Amino acid sequence: MTLIRMLAATLAFSIPALPAYAGNITHELGTTKVPDSPQRIVVLEFSFIDALASVGVAPVGVADDNKRDRVIPAYTDKIGNDWVSVGTRKAPSLELIASLAPDLIIADKKRHAAAFDQLSEIAPTIVLDSLAGDYHASVEQMAIIGDAIGKSDEMNARVEAHKKTMAVYSAQITPLTKGVSAQFGVTNAKGLWLHAPVSYNGSLLEMFGFDSNMMPKDGGVYEKIYVPTTLEQLSEVNPDILIFGAYTDPSFVDGLAEDSLFKNLTAVQSGRVFNVTAHNWSRLRGMLAAELTAKDILDIMGQSE
Amino acid sequence: MSHVAAPRASFAPSLPATLIILLLFITGGLFSAATGGRSDVGLTDLWHPTGLARDVVFEIRLPRMGAAACLGINLGLAGLALQALTRNPLASPAILGINQGAAFGVTLSLILPGVLPFSIEVTATLGALMAGLLTFAISGGFSGKMEPTRLILGGIAVGALSFALVRFAFTLEDELARSVVRWTVGDISDIRWRETSKLACFAGVGFAATMLMATKFNIMALGQDSAKGLGLDPRLTLFLGAGLAAGLTGVSVAAAGPIAFAGLVVPHLARPLAGHDHRLLVPVTALLGAGLLMIADGLSKTLTAPIETPIGVVAALLGAPFFLWQTLRSKDLL
Repeated sequence: MTLIRMLAATLAFSIPALPAYAGNITHELGTTKVPDSPQRIVVLEFSFIDALASVGVAPVGVADDNKRDRVIPAYTDKIGNDWVSVGTRKAPSLELIASLAPDLIIADKKRHAAAFDQLSEIAPTIVLDSLAGDYHASVEQMAIIGDAIGKSDEMNARVEAHKKTMAVYSAQITPLTKGVSAQFGVTNAKGLWLHAPVSYNGSLLEMFGFDSNMMPKDGGVYEKIYVPTTLEQLSEVNPDILIFGAYTDPSFVDGLAEDSLFKNLTAVQSGRVFNVTAHNWSRLRGMLAAELTAKDILDIMGQSE
Repeated sequence: MSHVAAPRASFAPSLPATLIILLLFITGGLFSAATGGRSDVGLTDLWHPTGLARDVVFEIRLPRMGAAACLGINLGLAGLALQALTRNPLASPAILGINQGAAFGVTLSLILPGVLPFSIEVTATLGALMAGLLTFAISGGFSGKMEPTRLILGGIAVGALSFALVRFAFTLEDELARSVVRWTVGDISDIRWRETSKLACFAGVGFAATMLMATKFNIMALGQDSAKGLGLDPRLTLFLGAGLAAGLTGVSVAAAGPIAFAGLVVPHLARPLAGHDHRLLVPVTALLGAGLLMIADGLSKTLTAPIETPIGVVAALLGAPFFLWQTLRSKDLL
């Protein structure tokens, strides 16, 4: 870490006029002083890209899992294609981040809290609960990011517009969801993970009026937001509508097709099993992401009528 | 030691031993069949299953229970054969690198589909066989002088190399890496009748073959020199026995991934119950292996419910302490 500290110190002294530290931003791990309008921003989760894109600010570094196409065209239209990949979201490279000489880092509470001190040595760092937070939290975080990048007014305007968009979707969807249960899950070659009601997608489905059959047993709460689920357990949840996001073809769920337990699921019997883009639903969060998901849900309800 | 192969050896374990074996087998079967993701399908549904409970029991739990039992038979017998052939109580598919060789075989067929014109069972068995033969060669087994320490060290080296090659696959493309990870720990949670029937066939053939070799194992237990004196070619027996163990391990790994400790521990548990005559030890090892792995399957579904613990992890959690106890207790393990 001394190397990074030295690097940071060298950088600090080599910049003749330090940026004006205007704002104190309160976040998950305390309060951080950030520059007036940061120019070199590094983001370590996809929802932070969503925030920057919504006010047209391009980050210099993105933890894009070393796969540039994980930043979908809807974002690259706004932020361009010039960012430097700083590695995976799970374990971003501190060296790469430092080499970009950022003046603001936006990190995730669940993934990066342990690296907060190291990140703070590189640049002012704010930490938000993106990965484990629900939809409502992701929208609230937009205002914090707006303040941190010195674009509070523009961000608030975008949030208002987003809420209006979602209200329009809601007006179309909620009349159709009364007493209907829906469940989203992601599947790869090895298994199926249901997203609990407290998860990002769970909270979106709830907002649109769906019930969830994922009821915690014995008065407990689900400790996990993504619950690994067997066919037996899925048959117990047995929702009216099943929404799968598959990361592989064929997926674990495809392998269940011949089991009568699967064939007898309410959603399978009534033809209400839907496939969506796993990446957009499961990895992305934020306003644009939520609008994509809302559009998918509207399509699903249109088809399942 | 000559009484070992004597014709007057009894062909039934003592009554208490028989009861213990049957109790473990029945408990394992019931435990495995009565547990699972649906809390409303339990023991009582096993007798008059209807509708949904029938689907759960017949399509999901019974094939899984059968797979666990067959894996216990295969791995237990593989361990028994290896321990008899090498006269080494530490010998087992995992310690001699055979498990890992099989996992490497599976990985190869995942990475290079189409290059190897065999099914996954065949590549797993070939990998197991290669690893086993390599370990035996390192130990000097084919020159007629198998050194116990070199056998174990050779097995560890072969196992580490095979597993390093499996791990290398983690660096490949994401989805491929994920499907390889599946083969690093034993898991039977998505097994259905198709895999179970295959496993059962091999368990049946493996059991018959091990029974046929039981007398040879008894003679091998006297040492390679005595075996030669009794007119048995120890190298041929070693080769056949290693092939048998590799086949049993390869099929098991191809179906469930590597399960360590089962092959090591089950024969050790069987000996106090059945004595040292392999004609009795083989069926007792098979029954005990089946019972224990079915119990492990039940535990894998209940330990961290509602989330499952892979059976390979449960087997290691049960087997490792026993192995440690055995090691500390035994004065002349090597």
